[in-house]
Parts: sequence; structure tokens; C-alpha cells
Amino acid sequence: MKDSLRQSMALFHTWSGLLLGWLLFAMFATGTAAYFQDEITRWMQPEVTGSADPETSAQGAVRYLNTVAPDAISWYITLPNGRSATTQVYWQPGDGTRGKRGETSAVLDQTGRAITVRETSGGFFLYRFHFDLHYMPVLWARYLVGIAAMFMLTAILSGIVTHKKIFADFFMLRFGKGQRSWLDAHNVTAVIALPFHLMITFTGLVTLASMYMPWGIAANYASPAVFQEQVFGREPAAERSGRAQPLVDLAPLMRTASAEWGGKQVGYISVTNPGDATARVLITRSPGAAIAARGETAAFAGATGKALGGHTATGAAVATESVMIGLHTGRFAQWGLRWLYFLSGIGGTIMVGSGLVLWTVKRRTRLPDPARPHFGFRLVERLNIAAIAGLATGIAVYFLANRLLPADLAQRADREIDSLFLAWLAVGLWGMVRPAGRAWTETLALAGACFAAVPVVNALTTSRGFAASIMSGDWLFVAFDLMMIALAACFLQAAGKVAQHRAKNASAPPRRAARKAVSQ
Amino acid sequence: MGIYTAPSVGVGVTVMAIKAQSGERSTVGRANVAARLLAAIPANYLLTSLATAALARLLWRGLGVDPANASVAAMLTSFVMFSVLALVAFGVRSALRLWLWMIGAGAVLGAGLWLSLASGGRL
Repeated sequence: MKDSLRQSMALFHTWSGLLLGWLLFAMFATGTAAYFQDEITRWMQPEVTGSADPETSAQGAVRYLNTVAPDAISWYITLPNGRSATTQVYWQPGDGTRGKRGETSAVLDQTGRAITVRETSGGFFLYRFHFDLHYMPVLWARYLVGIAAMFMLTAILSGIVTHKKIFADFFMLRFGKGQRSWLDAHNVTAVIALPFHLMITFTGLVTLASMYMPWGIAANYASPAVFQEQVFGREPAAERSGRAQPLVDLAPLMRTASAEWGGKQVGYISVTNPGDATARVLITRSPGAAIAARGETAAFAGATGKALGGHTATGAAVATESVMIGLHTGRFAQWGLRWLYFLSGIGGTIMVGSGLVLWTVKRRTRLPDPARPHFGFRLVERLNIAAIAGLATGIAVYFLANRLLPADLAQRADREIDSLFLAWLAVGLWGMVRPAGRAWTETLALAGACFAAVPVVNALTTSRGFAASIMSGDWLFVAFDLMMIALAACFLQAAGKVAQHRAKNASAPPRRAARKAVSQ
Repeated sequence: MGIYTAPSVGVGVTVMAIKAQSGERSTVGRANVAARLLAAIPANYLLTSLATAALARLLWRGLGVDPANASVAAMLTSFVMFSVLALVAFGVRSALRLWLWMIGAGAVLGAGLWLSLASGGRL
């Protein structure tokens, strides 16, 4: 009787996994890439070299903001860390409007000059797409992503119940055996990194928990603002007094804050009412300095530099939440752990992808007429192509567009992103009009070719090609090229396998005819 | 819940699936799956929300945890509740029993929450 529980859980696993599997695949793929978002951004800004000093950068950012947005309600400055070399600033315009993105934000170098050459969203876009998607309101996207994550969590749990020999299958990866191999691939990638998958899915939900499950807070707080203030120490901004008073130098404040936190680096600075006597500076600890995502903060009076006290979130549950978010985003991870995060993410991406393919492989043999599958089957098959080969091609094209679009193109960052989606759409459409087997070969080969083209185009359009990077010991660029080549090899290999498989099937038509005869 | 009390769980959905595969689509089977889907997603969210709110109140007013931590603890627990309940909805044998359990639990939690909110306000 235990088997019937397993059966119903298997059924549940199949359908909950399929329904949002395509979105989950995209979330896993872009989320995995986002573990290297700073490195991707550096690759996409080849003109920016060297590293930046946080204190100098903060001073540069203030100079920039004083010119472009002196009367802003607030400034937000994300300082460079060991991995990035640029400063991101954005501001809330003084007239209270929510300006268009790009008009109220800028990427600066250490001296406070906006980087206008080869404007790009870089790895940041892949990070944001992971939970904000694109071309749709952020709020909807986050609900959709949350639903997908909840499906993922239940799919993982039901997958565990379904799984009979979880440890035997750990060592079982049989190649070239059709459905069995797909199942093995799904099981191995799922089981090896099972703790990671559970952790990443659960903590992913936690990152946006107050959006998905606001009722815990609503039960104790009539106003969420009171909760915010208790947990984050965020005070509502004071009214501007109208008495102009320049902002004090931020560098000494950063040193004071850092010393208070036992030497941990500063990550963000926000300034409310800049240039006014009521200005307030809030300095937040760098997310790379500890696992807990909600870092310590220190507040200062902007006009005098007087310390207004610090804030550290306290309490077991709040600390747990903060650590969970930190575990998800992995900002604390050093190189070894970062690569482990990345590899686990790749495992998750393969787990979702192979699960999607498995759905069709398993059903293909049971189709009444394999040559003419029913609509639902065809839809899943085509969406699989669009989701897997399409997204891969899109990401490769995103990198290519970064090198090939004119450096001074208007709204260049947006055009790069559009290129990604155009390529994705094109592959999706191609998958619709071609026979499925052939479409798989062609689109996987295309994805492989696009990844392979990235190092070539990089070498031709910048002075930081593979050979030059090796000579100068620029390991970030070397690693990026190698990763592109590895991805190209994987996709070309996959395309070759599908072609081989098709050739084998084509040369053995009697089997299919025999099966057809049996089913009739 | 029911999943632990019934020795032969999951039969309902499985039988339904086998029927569906053999092409025999009964209205009863469809209603069964619909009832479970409704229980697993919207009703589950409602019940989990009630439980989360009630737990947040209980931790703060009843057990003296500070309100912020009480709220966050309840919120963190909610995802475990929701996912387990979603599986239970498809795992238990009887959809009717499932619904009765959920309605019962919802009524108890709702009443507790209402009493708690009536006896002491929110921040």
C-alpha cells in the first residue's frame, strides 16, 4: 500500500514539475549565472580595468550626484567591492516622480565620472531577470516567480517520496539508453545536489517572503512600516528644512562605521535630503563581509557627521531569515564556494531541463501514433526547445550583442537585453515550424555555435582576447572564454547526440511499424 | 494529518490516473482531482495564511516572543506548512475527509485568531 502513495506522489511530481518547469529552467539558468554577476559585468565593460577604492569611489559618487541630483529625496550608492570596479548610483528625484530607469541611475568609475562607453546592464540583468523577469510589471513577475518556486519546493518533496532507491541511484548514470538515461540524468543531478536544491528553493521563497506570506506581519502590525522600522531600523525621512548645508566627507564616516563592525567593509550608502540641514547618511555593511544578508547599519547626520547610532537586527527568527537570504544570494562566498554554488546551480538547471525532456521521452513510446503526436505532447516538446535551446542561445547572443552593437548606441543597455529576447523568440519560432527532432539538433547546434563565437568576437573587437588575457594574467577574461568554450562544447555535443539518435531511429523503421501494429 | 492515519493513502488519485490513461474519464474522477486541486492551492493558501497569522499572534501574545521575531518565525514556517499540505492533498485517500479536516482546522484557527485580535490590538 506504500506504493500507492509513491504513485500519487509520482503523478504529482510529474505535473507540478511540468507546469512551471519552463519558467523554473529560466530562473535556474539565470540565477546560476548571477553567482558571477560582477564578473560578467566586468567582462561586459572591457574598457573598465583595475580595481576601485571604496572611499575614493564614495567621494566620486557624491561629486557626481551633487551635479546631477542635488535636490533629490535620496541617493543610493552601491560601492565597488573586491569583485567589481564600478559604483552604481541611483536617486529619487526631488519632484517625487519615479523617473524612468536609466534617467535616475548611473554607473560611475572611481573618480565619479559616469561610464558612458558601451552602456550595459551586464550580469546585473541576469540577476534581476532571475526574479523580476522582463517586459512585465515587477510585482506580477515576483508573484509568478514565487508560485514557480513553491511548485519547485513541492516537486522536490514529492520527488523524494517518489524515489525508491535514492542512494543506489546516486551512483547510477547509464549513457545511451534512451529513457533510462534521461531518468538517470534527472536523478543524479537531483540527488547529488539535493541539499542545495532544497536550500536554494526554500531560501528563494524566503527572500520575498513578506510579499508571498504577509499575514504573519499583518497579524501583529497594523502598519508594515512599524515592522520595517523595528527590524531594519529604517526611519521615515524627515521633511527638508530648506536650509542648505553641504554634506560632510563620507570617507571618515565609512571608517567609523567599519571600525564599529570589527573592520568589515562598507557596502552601501544612502543619503536622504542631501544638501539640506536635515540630511541623514545611512551606511550599510558590505553583503560580502558575512553570511547574514541584512547587514549592520550606522547612521550619521549628513550636515555634521555626528553618529546617530547603529542598528543590528536582533532575535533568532530575524537572524535566521537574514542568514537564509544570505545563503540564497551567496554574496559572502569566496572563490571556492562561489564555484560550488555555480556548479550546483548548473546541476539544478540540468535537473529541471532533463525533467522536462523526460516528460516527452517517457510519453513518446506510449503515443498511439508516434509520428503524429497529440497537441499537448507537441506543445510540451516545442516549449522544451524554446526554453532550453532558446534561452541558451539568447544568453550567448546577449554577450555577442555586447561586443557587436555600436559602443555609443542610444539606450544601448536595453538593446542588448532586446537582443537576448529576439534570439530567444527566433529559436522558439524555429522550434515551432520545424519537425521536433530536427529542431532539437539545429537549435542546440545554434546555441553551441553562438557560445563558441563569443571568445572569437571578443578577441576581434577588444584588446582583451584569450591570448592577450593569458599574457597579462587576466584570469577573469581567461575563465570567461573557457566557460564559453565549455558551454559551446556541451551544446554541440548534445546536438550531435540528438542527430545520432535520430539517424539510429531512421535506420530502424520496422520497430516503429511493429509498435504501431501492436497498438492498433 | 490524514496521511498518517490512513494506511492506504493516495489510492484516489492513482485510480483516477489509471482510469484517465485507459481513456475512461469519469465525472467522479474529474471532480475528485478538482477537489484536490482546490484544496491543494487556494484553500491551502487560505489555511496556511490563517495558521501563519495565528502562530504569529500565539508567539507574541502567548509565548512572549517579541512581535517582529514572532511574525518572521511564523512567516518562515508558512512555506513548510504550505508545501506539506499541498502534498497531503494529493496523498490522502479521501478528498472528502481532506476537506473536512481543512475546514475544521480553518475554523479553529480562524476563531483563535479572531479572539486574539479582539483581546489585544496590533502595533
